[in-house]
Amino acid sequence: MSIHYPYRRILRRETHSPRSVVAITAAVIVIILCAYVGTEVILAMVGHRALLAPPQDMLTALGDLGTAPIGLPIIIGILLVVLGLLLIVAAVTPGRRARHRLTSSRAAVVVDDEVIASSLARSAAHAGNIDPDTVVVSVSSRRATVHVTPTSGVPLREEEISRAVAEQLAGLGLDPPIHSEVRVALHGRVGS
Amino acid sequence: MNNTNRALNRIFTALLGLLTLLVGGAIGAVATVPGIRAAYRKAAPATRDDVIGWLKSIPLFDSGTSWGWIAVLAVLVLIVVLLLFFIFRQGGGRHDLLFTEETTPEGSTVIDADLAEHAVQHDLGRHPELLTSRVSTYEVNDTAVLKIAVTCRRGVSPRDVTTAIEDTLTALDALLGREVPALIHISGGFRVRLSRSTRVQQGAGSTTERESFA
Repeated sequence: MSIHYPYRRILRRETHSPRSVVAITAAVIVIILCAYVGTEVILAMVGHRALLAPPQDMLTALGDLGTAPIGLPIIIGILLVVLGLLLIVAAVTPGRRARHRLTSSRAAVVVDDEVIASSLARSAAHAGNIDPDTVVVSVSSRRATVHVTPTSGVPLREEEISRAVAEQLAGLGLDPPIHSEVRVALHGRVGS
Repeated sequence: MNNTNRALNRIFTALLGLLTLLVGGAIGAVATVPGIRAAYRKAAPATRDDVIGWLKSIPLFDSGTSWGWIAVLAVLVLIVVLLLFFIFRQGGGRHDLLFTEETTPEGSTVIDADLAEHAVQHDLGRHPELLTSRVSTYEVNDTAVLKIAVTCRRGVSPRDVTTAIEDTLTALDALLGREVPALIHISGGFRVRLSRSTRVQQGAGSTTERESFA
């Protein structure tokens, strides 16, 4: 990577979620609430009939919270607590996307995990000389698992598949590095 | 690569979450904990009288309502306006120019971002591994950075894709006389298909593999 350019910040942004959706949704909900309360206030001031409840009634209900039946407040309280926790979790967790960085001397490169998975699947199928349909690869942050379903009557070249996948991963130069594992299904399928 | 203020998004979400949590907890506590419930019952009527007293103390001319409600409306409007600013601030950051260079004492050369975008996109078209490509320019820290987003065919190695794009970028560097920072994003879009099937077709002694897009 070109030493003169600070790719690190760009790469960090590209591999983590910006949380825009959460923030915008939350902002929209607050806007709707403000709009509703504002409407009720204006209707009350003008003397018109309220939409749901005039603001004076809302204040009264709030004041009566100490004597009101506890069912509804408990439910509302629990819902708000859960919602608040979800928001805090969304804000605090890093939100890593299903992507990996790939080393390059010329540019910053970010690859979706599904591209890596599909490429490994093809290598595995090619090395084992098997139908690509029998290979399913799942890629996580540090591990790639190659699930192979053997065909009845055809011996499986497990070691060659393992080696080919490991070689390809080493050649890709991914960050964080991915380690591979080949898992052969216990039940084969009838071949065509 | 855009201008979204990610820290602000997270701070906003965290504060809102905290507020919601506290309000929900307070409501729940008043409803359940007997000690708090009793204290609330004692304090509530006095507080309500205070609020009503404040509202009555600033009556809105003769209409019967109060300036207090106007104040409430003003606060609500302010909140809505701030949030709208916040929403529409998301994204952005696209840039029109690639760079400006003082080439001669008489004048400077300005390279439009379109030049790099079209040149790269055109060159990428000759690589069969790439299905689609989209080049755009963003301004990051006062520097124009190219963003090259490509989708590749199923099974293609991202290393091959990277090498192909690096070649294109090297050619661009030679054309411009300088190295333009670039971000490459390789994606696939394969997961749209619900089931994958590969058909093997035999004809005239040779086998060809064709993927169906069902």
